[in-house]
Amino acid sequence: MGNLRNLLAAAAVLAATLPATAQQLTVWHDLGDNGIKWFEALSAEFAKQKAGATVRSQSFPTDQWFGRVISAINTNTAPDLIFNNYERVIRIQDQTGKVVDLKSLMDKVPDKGFLSEDDMRVATYKGRQIIIPIQRVQMAFGVRKSWLDKNGGKFPDTWEDVKKLAVAFRDNDPDANGKADTFGLALEAAKPRDLIHILDLFMFGSGLRHTLVDPDGKITVDEPAHAQVLEEFLKTYTSYRFVAPDTINHSFAEMYQVIEGGRAGMFRVGDWNVKKWDGANVLGGDFVSGPWPKFAPDRQNAVVIAGMRGVAIPENSPNKALAQEFAAFMLSKAAQQASLENIGAGVRKDLNVSKLSPRAQFFAKAEGRLVAYDFPESVHAFYPELEAAYHRKLMSGIANPPADWKPFIAETAKEMRDLAAKLSKK
Amino acid sequence: MTAVIHIIARERVFYLFVLPFAALTILFGVWPILLSVQVSLTASASALGASPKYIGLANYVAVLADPLFVASLWRTLAYTVLSVAANLAFALAFATLLDSSLIRRGNLFFRLALFLPVITPDVAGYVVWRWLYDRSFGAINAALTSIGLPAFGGLSSPDTAMAALLIAELWHHAGFYMIIFFANLAIRDRSLEEAAHIDGATTWQRWRYVVLPQLRPALVINTVYAMIQFLKTFTVIVVMTKGGPGDRTNFVSYYAYQLFDQARYGEATAMATILFAIVIVLSLTAYKLGDREPGR
Repeated sequence: MGNLRNLLAAAAVLAATLPATAQQLTVWHDLGDNGIKWFEALSAEFAKQKAGATVRSQSFPTDQWFGRVISAINTNTAPDLIFNNYERVIRIQDQTGKVVDLKSLMDKVPDKGFLSEDDMRVATYKGRQIIIPIQRVQMAFGVRKSWLDKNGGKFPDTWEDVKKLAVAFRDNDPDANGKADTFGLALEAAKPRDLIHILDLFMFGSGLRHTLVDPDGKITVDEPAHAQVLEEFLKTYTSYRFVAPDTINHSFAEMYQVIEGGRAGMFRVGDWNVKKWDGANVLGGDFVSGPWPKFAPDRQNAVVIAGMRGVAIPENSPNKALAQEFAAFMLSKAAQQASLENIGAGVRKDLNVSKLSPRAQFFAKAEGRLVAYDFPESVHAFYPELEAAYHRKLMSGIANPPADWKPFIAETAKEMRDLAAKLSKK
Repeated sequence: MTAVIHIIARERVFYLFVLPFAALTILFGVWPILLSVQVSLTASASALGASPKYIGLANYVAVLADPLFVASLWRTLAYTVLSVAANLAFALAFATLLDSSLIRRGNLFFRLALFLPVITPDVAGYVVWRWLYDRSFGAINAALTSIGLPAFGGLSSPDTAMAALLIAELWHHAGFYMIIFFANLAIRDRSLEEAAHIDGATTWQRWRYVVLPQLRPALVINTVYAMIQFLKTFTVIVVMTKGGPGDRTNFVSYYAYQLFDQARYGEATAMATILFAIVIVLSLTAYKLGDREPGR
């Protein structure tokens, strides 16, 4: 009996001392192996300022991440922190209402001057700061350098330049394999986010502010400047024959196959793509990045910030205080340097980029003019449904191209107005 | 009640053996279905929350009023009818051929060749089919154009996408139905054919009036199984078309999955429940019809 009492006493002492000596935070993300390495590096850095604290990360495929986070929060088995794109955290907040408002924490962070107004706008949803912005997601326009060199070497600045290059890349056998198997551009279309995402890049990259709907709920599809980009965009998939004929069924995976298989000359380059594409077995660094093409001389073109990845904390996080400390730490220079080296992105501008390739430096130094996507998801709750309908309409046009796109665009705008009015009343 | 207890007590060994499987079926089969039905009665925004808001049949009303869902349902039914007919006809033809004296040598090879796609992982098989159909480097169009035929639109043309899926699924599933037919052919009473032969019946008459009626069990099982399979068509869509081009291959399962992506859980599970009900009703009807004694 005495032994049992001693054993229980020892266990109680051990239990009481454990939190003070070893506290483990758990983070759920969808960044795969690179993300796991990044959090390992962060854990080591964080332990320097918080002795005994460790961070363990777990990566899930994106759709599983979403379901698991919601169920974990709803069953009080939430991880300490969650990390993902802002729009996914918005959905978590919509579904659970249990994402901590990080505004007071953010107010206490002294070193945050590198965060722009756009960054903070994305981080805020319905008056609550739901994420701490950690990684800007930059997307540039890329061209295969060796193909470009064979065609004058000048990076395309305007849409007319892109069209000329696309014809050359399609018709002039730029890979010199004797086969007509190359395309001007690699795009995607199959799912709503595929097609509209690429359209977003062309719109924002060419200096426009909204793709489908503005913050007041006004549909912008048929405004002359938008209609011009949209018409050229739709022709790219159809009459111009700049993309592979099966692009209508291509999602991210197939688009990457076309790019990495060396079959397209121009494509989207995300900051996270560079590390892989610099690899000898992929593109071997044979690409250059720049801003998206200009569609009008009076509008400035740009590289697009098409997303923001950030860290959020569930209300029922088991170690909420330490989780907040770690979330703030993720903005520190050391943590951001690790983010840059493992993921290829960050939000600070004072990081050491000398070890990065020139292509990665393009993003790290923010060499291109940057414009932010308008993040309609954070303004209109109905946006995903509206976007899905817009995608269906555009896909019907791509599948059966009309002789004249202008009436099609006018009809699309009307349908979207009717639907937006209906959805906003829900 | 006493009678029930008495039966259970009498057959306790049987029920003891059945119990683990019954429990697993309830846990992993029935319970998720009931949960899905429950979600279909809630507002999407609260569906996965701790206190879901129940809205009665509103999701079902919304789904049935959605022209895209109705179109997708008709498309699914049309595809099912075509696929069931094509798979069963193909499987029956090959089973009959392999059972006949026409293919004696290499019989095992042909049986293996036809069954191999069944055990091939479906995703891998459909990826290969997608490449075969590819309009820029696919083998099918390369072969067609090399002999002067027009190119096949494959998955990228709204006119041919459904046919292209049907062919790929035929390749993947027909071997399974063939084996069932083949097993049924192996256990048939061959003396009946000999008797019919002596009576002067032609080959066609012997097959139609003597062999085919004996294949009723395989026909019923294959029809019911194929109907269930094709009504739920999903993987081939995800891998090959993602519902496109346009909405041309947007079947019910995939449409419901897309709604999940938009966090419209209530409507998505309402669609899944409607499809589930259709699968049950059609399968039971097919089974009942097929199980009737001839002439009744």
